[in-house]
Amino acid sequence: MIFNDFGMDTASLAGSLESKLAAIRQAGFTQVMISAGDVVGHPAGIAAGVRAIRESGLRVTGLEALRDFEGLDGQLHAYKVDVAKSMLEVCSEIGGRSLVVEASTSTHAETDADAIARDLRMLALLAIPMGIRIAYKGVGWSRTARDFRVAGDLVFRAGCANLGLAIDAFDVLAAGVPLDDLDALDPLQIYLVQLSDFMWQEMRSTEEQAATATHFRVFPGEGAHSEGLANFITKLDAIGYFGDYSFDVYNDDYLQMPPAAVAGRARRAADWLGETVLRRALPVPNMERLLRAPHL
Amino acid sequence: MTNPMDREAVSEPLNPLGFDGIEFIEFATSKPQAMGGVLETMGFRPIARHRSREVELYRQGSMNIIVNAQPADVPRTVQPVERPILSAFAVRVRDADAAFRRSLDLGAWEIPVRARAMELNIPAIHGVGESLIYFVDRYDEFSIYDIDFRPIPKVDPHPPAIGGLHFFGIVQYIGVDRTADWVEFYSQIFGFKPLPDRVRFGIMPKGLLLQSPCRNFYLQLIEPDDTSRYAPAEEHLQRIGFGTPDVMATVAILEKRGIEFFASEKVHASDRGALTKSSLGSVMFELVHDDLPAAAADR
Repeated sequence: MIFNDFGMDTASLAGSLESKLAAIRQAGFTQVMISAGDVVGHPAGIAAGVRAIRESGLRVTGLEALRDFEGLDGQLHAYKVDVAKSMLEVCSEIGGRSLVVEASTSTHAETDADAIARDLRMLALLAIPMGIRIAYKGVGWSRTARDFRVAGDLVFRAGCANLGLAIDAFDVLAAGVPLDDLDALDPLQIYLVQLSDFMWQEMRSTEEQAATATHFRVFPGEGAHSEGLANFITKLDAIGYFGDYSFDVYNDDYLQMPPAAVAGRARRAADWLGETVLRRALPVPNMERLLRAPHL
Repeated sequence: MTNPMDREAVSEPLNPLGFDGIEFIEFATSKPQAMGGVLETMGFRPIARHRSREVELYRQGSMNIIVNAQPADVPRTVQPVERPILSAFAVRVRDADAAFRRSLDLGAWEIPVRARAMELNIPAIHGVGESLIYFVDRYDEFSIYDIDFRPIPKVDPHPPAIGGLHFFGIVQYIGVDRTADWVEFYSQIFGFKPLPDRVRFGIMPKGLLLQSPCRNFYLQLIEPDDTSRYAPAEEHLQRIGFGTPDVMATVAILEKRGIEFFASEKVHASDRGALTKSSLGSVMFELVHDDLPAAAADR
């Protein structure tokens, strides 16, 4: 297995940015998804946050998350463009190659597909000079893209070289999206897969789904959907996905535990996935893994 | 003549900005006189100095080159250092302000007004690396230099070009797997079009060529080759390509003036093109066989 394919998210851990990065590193991870608040809210200033990340030796999976960006008009649109630019600058400073963009849940957002595609294209173009990719993610309670199927259609419609998808296993499991729908995606357009599980079998409403998603996620192998997660990852591997997996775990309990203990749980999740589920082939040293030819 | 695509109603705007070539190319350096010396050997003449900034204008034929030694006051722009850096190019368009606003709507990064190079408020956006791209629409009867620059006394403001030299293109070094991104950038904002692989100019055929909508200017995007794929390198504008109708004759004139050209087995002057050895640690010019564009010949 390739342990390096898995990374943690700073949002899963309590404490200072430095202690989070140290815990992630000590658990053996080599990459980290940075929650924007952890950099810009650094008590010693943004520059200190950036330095802590750069000096941690961890590769930055990406920065998250730009929310409620697309489908807005006039001043609201201009305001969100400023927010986006600011996040792109932070992403660039920490050496991130991807910005995670969550589909809008704003009641002000238009749902016209062409308008959304135009906004996504603009965002992608803003990111080009900085070498950043935009990973657009469906959200179960979004008005513009509920899951990867709709998000994938919008990404296709926008048609920009550095615009792709982030797929969140939680949203797929919670909404029961058929895994075969992943077949419709070009694996090269999936920039990131986020993994988490939750404790209950099913959720009765989108409100419950939203609350669970933001407070009660657990690491893969700890929840009620291990088999579903295993199938999800196996399917992604089968369609040719070879990118990063990031543990996108938001859990109120974990924020009251020592970071090292939580990072240890993440480590167990990565071991479980890598050794029993994924069994990714090790690449020959100094050779890149072969890319599947892009769709012609 | 009937349009071969008439039946399918192709309405794509071929030149959305009225792109009409390059107004100037800029180098930033803290040693402007050394850079000026290199340009003069290449046949450029100092024409004018900026009224308030440490900026000089060089010209030959239709080409303007700006040498900028003014410290930059905006993040992500070139800070002049001893080694000259290709820091900007200015595109001629129908309506600079409209082109600028359109580019912002599409997702370009604006350069704050206070930092724009000249006092005319030439609108600009961020380009590759730390470089800028300006939009200029006053280039016919009235030029941007009339206001901002003081002519150098007793100097011919229109020195002829050696061997019909004219701007042909700029080579841009980019990161691994970044070609598609930059094609997207230049095609969306300016209407550049990628050329098929079989179309090549000059003697340095690597990478991908983009043709301007006016078809007189090219950008060549070059990713790191296999050996340097893993060495991190900044993306930047690497060199200017000059077109000339007779490469070997122009090489002979420039050699007499003191310019040295690569003469290795792999890279050497030929009818197709030539490459100068680098001066001041980084400045190279490429010659490419190209007949004078009609518009440039008139100027």
